[in-house]
Amino acid sequence: MTLSGRLLPVVVHDRESETRTPANPLHQIPPAACDPFTAIAPRLPMRPGENDLTRLAPGRPRASGEPIAIVGRIVDGDLRPVRRTLVEVWNANAFGRYAHIIDAGRNDAPLDPNFYGFGRLLTDDDGRYRVLTIKPGAYIARRDIGWWRPPHVHFSVVGSGVRLVTQMYFPGDARNEKDFIYQVVPAAERDRVLGRPIAAPGDEHTFQFDIVIRGRFQTPPDLD
Amino acid sequence: MTDRPGAVRFTPEATVGPFYPGAFVADAPQNLWQVSPLLAHHPQGQPIVVVLRFADALKRPVPSLIVEFWQANAHGRYRHPADAGGAPLDPQFDGFARLRTSDEGVLEFHTIKPGAHPVPNQSGVVRAPHLRLTVFASGIDRLCTQLFFGDEPLNASDPVLHSLPGPALRERLIAKARGGAPAGDPRVYELDVVLRGDNETPFFDDWRA
Repeated sequence: MTLSGRLLPVVVHDRESETRTPANPLHQIPPAACDPFTAIAPRLPMRPGENDLTRLAPGRPRASGEPIAIVGRIVDGDLRPVRRTLVEVWNANAFGRYAHIIDAGRNDAPLDPNFYGFGRLLTDDDGRYRVLTIKPGAYIARRDIGWWRPPHVHFSVVGSGVRLVTQMYFPGDARNEKDFIYQVVPAAERDRVLGRPIAAPGDEHTFQFDIVIRGRFQTPPDLD
Repeated sequence: MTDRPGAVRFTPEATVGPFYPGAFVADAPQNLWQVSPLLAHHPQGQPIVVVLRFADALKRPVPSLIVEFWQANAHGRYRHPADAGGAPLDPQFDGFARLRTSDEGVLEFHTIKPGAHPVPNQSGVVRAPHLRLTVFASGIDRLCTQLFFGDEPLNASDPVLHSLPGPALRERLIAKARGGAPAGDPRVYELDVVLRGDNETPFFDDWRA
């Protein structure tokens, strides 16, 4: 007996997607073999300020570019809050350069000595989070075909039985529609990967980015 | 989670991209033989090494690929609130690890061999010892699969392994013990994972229909 699952989409012009995406559909685990024992990551020790990517540490100078806040609520498929769960965030600097060593040599944009471009936090008991970062610059992904990645922020949610990795884009950016990674998101779902500008206290432009996680089966009733 | 079309609009997944911060890997558990450096406490069970080689459709190694491992302890118990099985928890074992492949597309995971465990509410159904892998890399969305051990008789009746059509596909999830190790050394299990193409590894869907 085999149950066929999704066939994952290939991102056109992305050589890594073309050579790494399984050509066969995923396999469904039969109901008789399903269990709820989804991965629970241990709590990492968190330092104050790790949700603020705009400074290397509290009190240090602010990175170049426009500081922005991203706020939101994370829930599972039953709309229950994903509580006290690790959210990892990373993005390019204002010039479109990642501080990752792999980005050296393929990108002329400068590093920013005050920006590492990654941070993390735990959601609260209601599944809410808030992160401060610098609005990332666009960068060229493939010079030969002129493929630009629009500004985007990577999100990873891991911990309480759910798992998600996604990218948040900025609404109204004309580069979104031309981006091959953005294009694999079905048109009817693209609003789900756009941050929504909202009025909020504070000096930063604030974007709301709520997340509903489908992967895995359910959030465990309680982790304590 | 029930399927409620129109009611729940899920967030689409995306590739992790090439620039997943190294600190996020370094700060997660990577070697489950130990709880913490220089600590006298150790997990119960048989220490093993799992060596995975990741390749793409052109048989090239896949570097900078992230694998998250999740497993039961040596007694077959998960550190999960839904695991109300009779097997004991091990205070020294959580069962989560995160590793990154080398430039050669290889990672070595030091862990303890997980125990077999029953499937809740499925009378008599037993899962063979296995590791649960979540794979991230530039170019792919999240992939899930499971790794089995070649020297386990329970593989013959494992319901996940046997949901795959045909022995050739099953073999691609069964890590083989490396021979010739000195007596007393941890057993080393090896498996090639092919993301796409000839001998493509089977991956599982954890979205509900």
